[in-house]
Amino acid sequence: MIEFVGIFVYFLIASALSLILVGVSFVFATKKSDPEKISAYECGFDPFDDARSRFDIQFYLVAILFIIFDLEVTFLFPWALTLNQVGFFGFWSMMVFLIILTIGFIYEWRKGALDWS
Amino acid sequence: MLLNLRDDSLIALSPSYKTFLFDNDFQSLFPEIFLSTAAILLLVYGVVFSTSKQKNYPLLLTNICWLSLLALVFTFLLLVNSPVENALLCYNTLIIDNFTSFIKGLILFSSFFCIFISLDYIKQESINAFECILLLLFSTSSMLFLVSSADFISLYLAIELQSLCFYVLAALKRNSEFSTEAGLKYFLLGAFSSGLLLFGCSLIYGFTGVTNFSELARIFTGGTQEILTTTTSLPACELGMVFLLVGFLFKITAVPFHMWSPDVYEGAPTPVTAFFLIVPKAALFGVFLRIFLESFYDFVLPWQKILLVSSICSMILGSVAALSQTRIKRLLAYSSIGHVGYLLAGFACGTIEGIQALLIYLFVYIFMNINMFAFILCGMRRETMQTVPRIKYITDLAYLAKTQPVLALTFTITMFSMAGIPPLAGFYSKAYLFFAAMSSNLYVLAVIGVLCSVCSCFYYIRLVKIMYFEGPKNWCSFSRIPVENALTLAITLFFIVFFMFYPTPLHLITHKIALTLCM
Repeated sequence: MIEFVGIFVYFLIASALSLILVGVSFVFATKKSDPEKISAYECGFDPFDDARSRFDIQFYLVAILFIIFDLEVTFLFPWALTLNQVGFFGFWSMMVFLIILTIGFIYEWRKGALDWS
Repeated sequence: MLLNLRDDSLIALSPSYKTFLFDNDFQSLFPEIFLSTAAILLLVYGVVFSTSKQKNYPLLLTNICWLSLLALVFTFLLLVNSPVENALLCYNTLIIDNFTSFIKGLILFSSFFCIFISLDYIKQESINAFECILLLLFSTSSMLFLVSSADFISLYLAIELQSLCFYVLAALKRNSEFSTEAGLKYFLLGAFSSGLLLFGCSLIYGFTGVTNFSELARIFTGGTQEILTTTTSLPACELGMVFLLVGFLFKITAVPFHMWSPDVYEGAPTPVTAFFLIVPKAALFGVFLRIFLESFYDFVLPWQKILLVSSICSMILGSVAALSQTRIKRLLAYSSIGHVGYLLAGFACGTIEGIQALLIYLFVYIFMNINMFAFILCGMRRETMQTVPRIKYITDLAYLAKTQPVLALTFTITMFSMAGIPPLAGFYSKAYLFFAAMSSNLYVLAVIGVLCSVCSCFYYIRLVKIMYFEGPKNWCSFSRIPVENALTLAITLFFIVFFMFYPTPLHLITHKIALTLCM
């Protein structure tokens, strides 16, 4: 665990540095806001309609697929490290898992979940 | 040095457990493996062909329904012809004995009929997602695992797989507000109850260091109990047990934790409601009987009290709340809460007779509800509308006795059986349950049970009254009853009517498996 101290210190320094960078411009920059300046930017026009719009379901799909395959990687990681110890039994167990996942993947492919057109 | 040692031990170990797992465990898990594999293959088949342009995008739902029925039959056959009767599998996480085989048979049977009776509904309502049937198959196979789980980890995983399938199924009709609401409610409360369950498991694991049911039993009985008491971890284990119990009562919709069930049962599509109402009860009761009678039998006093209260409340609510219902699915939901109360009454006895009574009741409950839903899932014609609506309100049954006398008679008999009128199966199971309660000195429970049963007669018989004596507001009649439903109605009706004449086989089987559990 001790090696995480370095990362923790690094994280502290990094956040301090980024705060400084933001803070410097906040302190030294001139701030003169007028209605034109703080209005939403839509290519120079006034906003046409309400900012709330329908959300494309594709984004959810991609997020869910990401979560699933991210989990898969979590399971693959210890397997990859201990493959010399678990032998063929471990290998084939993971293959069964991967086959099941692949079938899920085939399903979503044929269903067109990856289609962005 | 250390590395060498580890390698040596692994080499010595590995061939033995490998052969063990492949030779014995897989053979005894054939039903589960077959069912999951079949579901996966059907998924591939369905998705490949339903999106194929050459085949002109066929709707595969009916096809997949029949194939999955076939898969269930094969699974049943595999289960019946299983090479081993008693075994501990997969490093003591799964167990097979007479009890699990019986409950698994019951699950397969009921899920077969749930799909069988919804074939026509699916065709008429054009639910075009073949995934719903596969989700039913997946949840069935997870219930098989659930029943035979002998470890908290396998228990929780199986419960979650089952519930995840159910959340999706409840929200199947995307364009219906009720269905989405049902799905959301079911998901939130199901996840909450799973959380309670998991917290109970983790408390028990934290204070004993063991997740296996039989090892827990060994810890809680006899000498080790003193050690636990001196280190004050026994109360903590008891708390964990209470959390487990609450999670379990949530899942089976017993009364203080029932609030989600009427909405979910009402909102979900009717075949899914049938499945929810019938199949998981057997699986959940199976596994929780095992936990509480095997591992936590030494906590019998606290859990018996909780179960008694819950059972009495369920019986009272089941009989009172259903009085004011006008929608038939909601009425059935409340009636099933009442039935869960009766089942818990058998559980609360904690004796062999109690468990036997519970199992008989469960068996009869499944038959009666399959019959009910075989009736509800038939298409109906209303005079005013072109579409084929289902029975929604209880007044839809009006004048059925004139238009479909045989069907009305069937329905009447089932209703009488549910109410517990003498020569029928429902009466037998209830009577046996109350005898068991009396013989373990739970007189109050038995008396309240009988009173509630009398109260619930009112709404069951009201349906019969509507069918025979009330004029319809707008004429409805059933379209031709589909063959599958007619068959199911006939089989279950036969059972309900003639069960009393020859109850011996069921009695013997349930006694045997109750003994397996209590040994």
